[in-house]
Amino acid sequence: MSVDRYKGFVFGPADLAEDVDLDVDRRKELLFLDGSLARLTHWEVLGLAWNAPAEAVKAAYLEKVKIFHPDRYPGKRLGSYRARMERVFRRVTEARDGLSDEARRAAYAKQTAPPEEFARLEARKIEDERRVQERRARLSRQNPLLARVGRVAELVKRGKEAMEAGRFGQAANDLALAQGLDPQNAELAGLVADARRRAAAQKAGELFEKGLAAEAMGSWPAALAAYRAALEADPRHTRAASAGTRAALEVGDPGAARELAEAAVRATPQAGAAHEALAMVLEAQGAKKDAKRELERALELDPRLESARERLKKLKWSFLG
Amino acid sequence: MSEHEPVIGIDLGTTNSVVATVRDGVPRVISNRSGQLLTPSIVAVAKNGKRLVGALAKRQAITNAENTVFAAKRLIGRRWGSKEVEDARRVLPYKLLAGPEGNDVRVEIAGRVVTIQEISAMILAELRADAEAWFGRPVTKAVITVPAYFNDGQRHATKDAGRIAGLEVLRIINEPTSAALAYGFGKQVERKVVVFDLGGGTFDVSILDIGKSVYDVVGVGGDTYLGGEDFDRRVMDWLTFGFAKENSGVDLRQDKMALQRLKDASEKAKCELSAVPGTSIHLPFLVGAADGKGALHLDRQLTRDKLEDLTKDLVERCIAVTERTLKDAGVRPNQVGEVLLVGGMTRMPRVQKAVKDFFAREPCRGVHPEEVVALGAAIQAHALSAPQAQGSEVLLLDVTPQNLGLMVVGGYFQTVIPKNTTVPTSQTHLFTTVQDNQTSVRIAVLQGASERAIDNELLGEFILDGIRPARRGEVEIEVTFDISADGIVGVSARDVATGQQQSITVTATSGLTEDEIKRILDEQIDDLLERKQTNREFEARRDRVLAMVREIEALGPAVQEALERTKFGKDAVQKAESVLARVRQAAEAGDAAAIAAEEEQLDRTLQLFKGLASAARPAGGK
Repeated sequence: MSVDRYKGFVFGPADLAEDVDLDVDRRKELLFLDGSLARLTHWEVLGLAWNAPAEAVKAAYLEKVKIFHPDRYPGKRLGSYRARMERVFRRVTEARDGLSDEARRAAYAKQTAPPEEFARLEARKIEDERRVQERRARLSRQNPLLARVGRVAELVKRGKEAMEAGRFGQAANDLALAQGLDPQNAELAGLVADARRRAAAQKAGELFEKGLAAEAMGSWPAALAAYRAALEADPRHTRAASAGTRAALEVGDPGAARELAEAAVRATPQAGAAHEALAMVLEAQGAKKDAKRELERALELDPRLESARERLKKLKWSFLG
Repeated sequence: MSEHEPVIGIDLGTTNSVVATVRDGVPRVISNRSGQLLTPSIVAVAKNGKRLVGALAKRQAITNAENTVFAAKRLIGRRWGSKEVEDARRVLPYKLLAGPEGNDVRVEIAGRVVTIQEISAMILAELRADAEAWFGRPVTKAVITVPAYFNDGQRHATKDAGRIAGLEVLRIINEPTSAALAYGFGKQVERKVVVFDLGGGTFDVSILDIGKSVYDVVGVGGDTYLGGEDFDRRVMDWLTFGFAKENSGVDLRQDKMALQRLKDASEKAKCELSAVPGTSIHLPFLVGAADGKGALHLDRQLTRDKLEDLTKDLVERCIAVTERTLKDAGVRPNQVGEVLLVGGMTRMPRVQKAVKDFFAREPCRGVHPEEVVALGAAIQAHALSAPQAQGSEVLLLDVTPQNLGLMVVGGYFQTVIPKNTTVPTSQTHLFTTVQDNQTSVRIAVLQGASERAIDNELLGEFILDGIRPARRGEVEIEVTFDISADGIVGVSARDVATGQQQSITVTATSGLTEDEIKRILDEQIDDLLERKQTNREFEARRDRVLAMVREIEALGPAVQEALERTKFGKDAVQKAESVLARVRQAAEAGDAAAIAAEEEQLDRTLQLFKGLASAARPAGGK
């Protein structure tokens, strides 16, 4: 017990001067503890380090009660210190009770952990949980009756994890497998549909990126193929449709371009870009009036389409010109 | 306060009581004035009006069953109308009455109605007197033991009994804890100990964690209505039933004297069967025959097997209680480092075997089952009265035996301090009003294990008023429960907003009020003065009579001489001798009535002798 334990604690001179049969060290200890009871953790009350083990708690408790139980002072005058002693005794007992049960001790340790310990504990908790899961999965695989249920649970879990990680293709795959094992599960069916939709969108996105890359390298046929594949994965991918239209025109296949553009408009009639794509095809085919209508429609739906605005201006000028 | 003032520990048992002390650092039992270590917990008023306690009371119990009170411990602190009291009324030969408030139990003994506390106080006073005789100086401080399962009311009543007996009760401690204290005293014990205490009337089991001279109770359980007397009753019932079968339906229970003899014989047989495999119960002239001619005798053989068969379920109950107690305390039987057997009933081989089987270990044989509790009480008394020497210090940390709480809306019981909480302790709970503009709240304090308030023991109730009117649920009332190291409960309630506060020490509804105790103590003083008066009369008479005896003895040779020369008076001398013998005996026994009865006869003998001697002298002179 170091001297600076009482640092910052103000002792009442009247308390220290009270006429009782206790030496000054004991008085200071009692006054300090009584005044700090609420603030100290279970371990601190017992004079122990954070998360000290149960055996240390028990040993410290035995030492403390010998000091703080009023029965230990037969025939001594204790004055106001008797009540303080009882309060400290109760607090010490509460600390012991709180720390002697393993589950309660663990919960309390977490609650009172210093920051760096807290992080370490969290990490360990996650690790423990993972181990438990693994063990459960292994056990269920070994049991044929449980295997099916276990497999479903495992697939769903993996699927959900993949979803969260953004690997939608993987998720859709796992979940679809799970659905195959448990076809009645409505929740699972919903998950599968969701995963599939997201997986398709993701795939389309990837293919679209690929198309853009090909376009940048001037490889129009490759770009067209990528855009088409993207649209196949996600027919609602308007940007792929309009880019595809442009690529088809570059390649010199207006039929394909028109097809793509119309498909885009059908899929997303409210998307300005789809109408713009269709306008490009119409313009290329010479149907300027129709092209102009489509561009106006595009701008009406999406006023921010600067490329469509430019095109419309050009078309207007060509009329004037 | 003198450090040398003697202090005692008292095991106030259902059937027997023991007093002990610590002298020169060694705990030891104090033998009573008859030289016995055990004093029967029996109080009686003899036919001649004399109050008898202990062995003297037990000896005359058969002929004076109505005025002999035994097993008062089963009634102390109980409420009139409770199941326990109703059961007792059916089987006890003495008369029970309700107190003036209809709450507590009183006994009618020799036409006087006394409280159970007073009965217990008489036993305590007897033990105190024994201790004073042993020390040769006054004794005023004691620790008294009670079964761990005693509730607040029973503890209070026991403490009051101590006060009535003129003792300052330093502490009420639990019997099993006390036994463990005696077991561990002076040894370096570091282990979990289970105390299995099957006494005359109660069964207690306690689990202690002993380490570094700290006796930390971690769990208690028990049954206040399971003990040696229940075993006796099984034997009695068996005998009564068999007797009725053999004698065309004669019911022995109708005859109080027969019942008392039966009870003694049953207890004796049960004790014998702990040592031998079979015994016979022989009670001649037990009751008059139904046809009015002659008397019926009882003669039966009882084997140990039969006894075990009769009491099988009682032993099973003990084990079930033990199992539950261990479970509540979170201790497995294999974690227990020692099992102490306490109480006379643990001498029964079947009980020992059941304990051994349950714990899978031999119970400790190092303690004397009947003395160990008193020894522990003496150790605690010693520890509480003087600073202890290094190494022999002890510290007891006991627990509450039952949940303590309040009655809440719907008649439910809300626990505030759960059982097995280390005392002293205190807990605060917030409660709220249940009605709009409620200005007072009734707080009923209960102890027990049931969720329903009505099934628990009501310790007391009080009313907190002056609550500010407000919508229901808006006023918060803070109720603080406090249990002292004695296990005695204090409660205070405070309106959080107004600070209005009320606190009570919960006196059980079946307890004595302060006034009653004062009245009893006053009566005792009157009694004492009266007894002093009669004592003085008795002493004067005794001295007078003894003077006459001496005179007669002095005349003896002269009378002898006179008579030798006549043929008459041989029978007169014989008569005189027998009178003298009776008087000497009566004087020795202090029997005032007998002395008074002989005084006249003695006077006549003296006159006769004087006459003879004076007649003989002239003749002798020839």
